[in-house]
Amino acid sequence: MTTEVLQRLVGVSHAFDQPITIWLCGAVLASIVVSGAAVTGLGKSRLIGESDYADAISRWKSWALIAGCILVPILLGAAYTVAAVTLLSLGCYREFARATGVFRHYGISVAVVAGILLANFAALDHFDRLFFASAPLVVALIAIITVPQDQPRGYIQRVALGCFGFLLCGFSLAYIGNIANTVNYRPILLLMFLSVSLNDVFAYWIGRVCGRRKLLPATSPHKTVEGALGAMALTTLIVVVLGHLVFHQSRLDNWVSLTLLGLLISVLGQMGDLVLSSIKRDVGLKDMGTTLSGHRGLLDRFDSLVLVPPAVYHFLSLHLGPLGASEPVRILTGGG
Amino acid sequence: MEDWEFKTARDIGLTAGERYRSYQREGGLVETSLRLIWWSCVRLSLTCCHRIGYQGLEHLPQKPPFVIVANHQSHLDALIIGSSLPLRMRDNLCPLAAGDVFFEVPALAAFSALTLNALPVWRKNCGQQGLKSLRKRLVEDECLYILFPEGTRTRTGEMGPFLPGVGMMVAGAPVPVVPCYIRGAFQAFPPSSRVPRFTKIDLTFGKPLDYSELPNRRASWDRIAEETEQVIRGLRPSVDLETQPTMNALPKTEKESEV
Repeated sequence: MTTEVLQRLVGVSHAFDQPITIWLCGAVLASIVVSGAAVTGLGKSRLIGESDYADAISRWKSWALIAGCILVPILLGAAYTVAAVTLLSLGCYREFARATGVFRHYGISVAVVAGILLANFAALDHFDRLFFASAPLVVALIAIITVPQDQPRGYIQRVALGCFGFLLCGFSLAYIGNIANTVNYRPILLLMFLSVSLNDVFAYWIGRVCGRRKLLPATSPHKTVEGALGAMALTTLIVVVLGHLVFHQSRLDNWVSLTLLGLLISVLGQMGDLVLSSIKRDVGLKDMGTTLSGHRGLLDRFDSLVLVPPAVYHFLSLHLGPLGASEPVRILTGGG
Repeated sequence: MEDWEFKTARDIGLTAGERYRSYQREGGLVETSLRLIWWSCVRLSLTCCHRIGYQGLEHLPQKPPFVIVANHQSHLDALIIGSSLPLRMRDNLCPLAAGDVFFEVPALAAFSALTLNALPVWRKNCGQQGLKSLRKRLVEDECLYILFPEGTRTRTGEMGPFLPGVGMMVAGAPVPVVPCYIRGAFQAFPPSSRVPRFTKIDLTFGKPLDYSELPNRRASWDRIAEETEQVIRGLRPSVDLETQPTMNALPKTEKESEV
């Protein structure tokens, strides 16, 4: 393993090599402080009701906690990022499985957990062929693992739920580790996380302040068309501005591509939220769990992230060439 | 094809602390893996350190639900009985443990719930509702309970009278009661000791008792308690009857504490 690879994996001393990383971290911290002050100010001045204030404070606390949990591993190194993503995926799948009841089928859960570990190991190893092969291989494993039980009743349901759980909570999030295989992965991931988070905040507040028409009332009664469109506009603007700094002088550094990237992140962020809302409505739950500070689940907080990483990875690869192509491959298994 | 039916975990929405104490608790892959490791270690240590001997294993029903009722000599008792069960029954096994001992401290509650799958019995205020919930779970979830109807560990080595709680759990329910006698656990880990001694322990199972025909009322509960106590006394090996525990036979620390 070369020194450069080691630095990328665990080299915290190089965390701020790119000035944009400092700016993005500053932006995250500033947004936490400013939003906290704003929420407190609105609550104290009684411009919002008590229940709205309590809800806003709860959201703010969760986001502050999540921001810390995201920032620290990314700054520490790619290996820490992959480890954090693995834990996040396992936690999300646990909530998904308990909500849908598939947790009672241990065979399915064993296959999904093995799949999550495999995909994240492939990302850490920078073994792209294994990473992309993990999706069909794990789906096949899920399909066959309960066949020997000779219980065809409920087979389609448990296999479908297993595949859905793996693709949503495992494979999709594992793309974050794959993005970390580029040299300058920190600003890219920070841009992605910041824009997804702000997209959520914009949709919530614009919907609160000037939302009139319900977006999908049966799926998510509080989301509005105005909130969705406003979030799309503001998130895209932020991605264009910050993206210009992150992808400076690359083939992506033009307003058309950056606008497309911003729209992609905003639309998929909101769709992820709606996908999780649909799951919750279908199984009759308000929240997916209580993992975070005894209030809500990981999937309730990371819902807007679950669809974004694969789209960002492939969009960037389309414009910049395969991400991490210049980096050594199969760094742990050898044979690259 | 039938419509899909989502059976959400019964304890969803509960915080971790609430889950550990809840009778609605449901485990998954993590808990099963922990129990597999835990019970394998327990069996190995009991075999190596206490030369544990099992008699009458053929009396255990092939599948839950059933209740194992035993004399209570030490904190090792639930582990001794649990170690005798086949692996396929480990997830059904729910030792009933004193809530004030095992579920007050968060770390101990987490261990008791996740690893032992213990359910709390609040000795001072268990109440009818608590027992009803336990009985419901026993039948519906096909559980395997371990009960110590004496209510507490023996302080003398001699078996105490049984309380009627066991009857409330099984009277009129299609749940066999398997009587069981533990020998040697008092000498190995008396209440006055902090660390177990490596002495021989034996476990003897008797034939299952059926109380499904009895009505679920007070007279039946007393009868069940009385009968199971007699059967378990009958399982005592003759060698035990000849050497009744006396103050001289008690471990030194126990005698000192009595003084």
